[in-house]
Amino acid sequence: MMFDRAYRQRLEADLARWEADGVITPASLTAIRAALPPLAPGINIAVVVAIVGGLLIAAAFLAFVAAHWIELARLLRLAMLFAGVLIAHGLGAWFARAGQPVLADLCAAVGALIFGAAIALVGQMYHLGGDFAGGMLLWAMGALAAAALTGSRGALAVALAAAIIWSWMRNFEIDVPHFAFAAFWLVAASLALAWNSRVAAHLVAVAAIPWWVASSLQPQLHFRPSFMLANGAALLFGGGLALAALAWERAARAGSVLSTYGALALAGVAIMEAVMANEVFRGHTGLANQPLWIISCGVTGVIFAVAAAVTAGRISTAFDAGAIGLVLAAAAAWTPQQTGDPWLAYAALLCAMLCLVVSGMLDATRPRIVAGWLGIAGVIAAITWAVKGSLLNRSIFLAAAGAVAVALALVLNRFVPRARE
Amino acid sequence: MITGSAASLAARWSRIPKFVLFGVAALVQIALLAVMIIDRAQVLREGAEVTLQTRPVDPRDFLRGDYVVLGYDITQLPAGPLQNQPSGERHPLVYVKLTPNRDGVHEPVSVHAAPVPVASPEVLIRGRVTYGASCGSKSDVFCEKLTIRYNLESYFVPEGEGRKLEDLRNQRKLLIVAAVLPSGRAAIKRLLIDGKPVYEEPWF
Repeated sequence: MMFDRAYRQRLEADLARWEADGVITPASLTAIRAALPPLAPGINIAVVVAIVGGLLIAAAFLAFVAAHWIELARLLRLAMLFAGVLIAHGLGAWFARAGQPVLADLCAAVGALIFGAAIALVGQMYHLGGDFAGGMLLWAMGALAAAALTGSRGALAVALAAAIIWSWMRNFEIDVPHFAFAAFWLVAASLALAWNSRVAAHLVAVAAIPWWVASSLQPQLHFRPSFMLANGAALLFGGGLALAALAWERAARAGSVLSTYGALALAGVAIMEAVMANEVFRGHTGLANQPLWIISCGVTGVIFAVAAAVTAGRISTAFDAGAIGLVLAAAAAWTPQQTGDPWLAYAALLCAMLCLVVSGMLDATRPRIVAGWLGIAGVIAAITWAVKGSLLNRSIFLAAAGAVAVALALVLNRFVPRARE
Repeated sequence: MITGSAASLAARWSRIPKFVLFGVAALVQIALLAVMIIDRAQVLREGAEVTLQTRPVDPRDFLRGDYVVLGYDITQLPAGPLQNQPSGERHPLVYVKLTPNRDGVHEPVSVHAAPVPVASPEVLIRGRVTYGASCGSKSDVFCEKLTIRYNLESYFVPEGEGRKLEDLRNQRKLLIVAAVLPSGRAAIKRLLIDGKPVYEEPWF
């Protein structure tokens, strides 16, 4: 919505200039303005002031309750917590009826936060402090239910945040990755699809990353974090690309968001792999202990990306598939036990990030270009910083890589027609 | 066809009044809170009473906010025959068989990885191993000693009263009576000082 407004402002400025320059007639100008759909109601200054006022009153109420908490009877305290949940949602319903969807969304989110606080306070009043992670799951479920019923993006954000904490805590209690989070994530993803909401798609895509990080950090599983994260990033990126290639428009939109975070994750993993080549991190387990499901995720990601490239016939997606394949190859080919620098892995990582930049330029997708450049910068920094092997060898490698890149640029400049200025 | 049915579902959903949807959302959250309380009340109402001796705990855990951390004589137990048996996970559930001594205080008899039948006056209480399930070369068997949590370790008290209870706990004058369901789930029912009830937990 915010981007819609920015676009409208720019369009209005352009239209005025084009009309003044005689590029379009006043009739065309009127027709263009008439063709634009009405903007969704946003937040004006009065609403912002009202929000601040509401927050101050809520804070005053909470401070008053906290000051008298011990003196209040337990059932009265419980009734106040229930009332807090009811009032937040009641206000939400009122704003929704009054045509204020942003405020209604905010109220549902505040209701979800009050619900979380109520779980903690009920736990305190009834001495139920034993299972903190279980409390977080309860919070996540209640917030997700509210999100599903009210369509609140804020409540969805609360639900995903609570679910991430739940999953992190459980992850360090059990001996296997916490797959129950995947079920929760899929429900949230279904909501994002059903709402056709870009904000929700961003929230859901971001929420996938902490799970992969937590799973890769389980010490008792002897996973190699960089290898596991490479496969996770491959699945996110490949899955996003496959969704984006679908004819179903809302899935395609959600897929493009997922692929953005997949690309960023892939760049992060590339940097991590280059950093992990450092002697400091030697001693990690080899590939022998990596479970089949992790490898399957990476392979599935590649299959998704290749299938998307073939079905959509887009050269940019083929570059993306190449980037995924190269990062996976670097993760698989390089084992920390080997001596010397992993030159091939370094080269594969640099090529992968270059593929991301090229793909982003072909698609005019800025986040992918940014991801690729960040990856290139990070990998070069990691190669230069590595304390393993000789500095002279690394200097020769970087010079050779640079020479190859310059040669490639000269060839491309000769054979690829330049874009019009 | 799928798109059509989804569109008709969306149309039906949009016809539901907003206050109904927001109301149901609030009721779902209130119901989840109520489940927490009713579940505990059920343990208090139906559980067999077990008296447990509290003991001093690590000083670093003394008082956090306004709740007392309670340690018990059954918190740290020898694994017995469970030692070197596969634990399955890092914090597995275990079942501790308790029997009352001459003073009526329950003492541990044995620790089991699964529920076992018990005859009155014995009681089976369920706990989760916090330390002691990651021994052996693969860190996957029970150790010699187990540290177990029974969900009876936190007791919230009015501000300022925590220190008094801690002192009594450290003098071994504080006992708790827990209600324990046949499934092994437990909740604090009352606190005893020198054998006399001081805090009685209402169901609600």
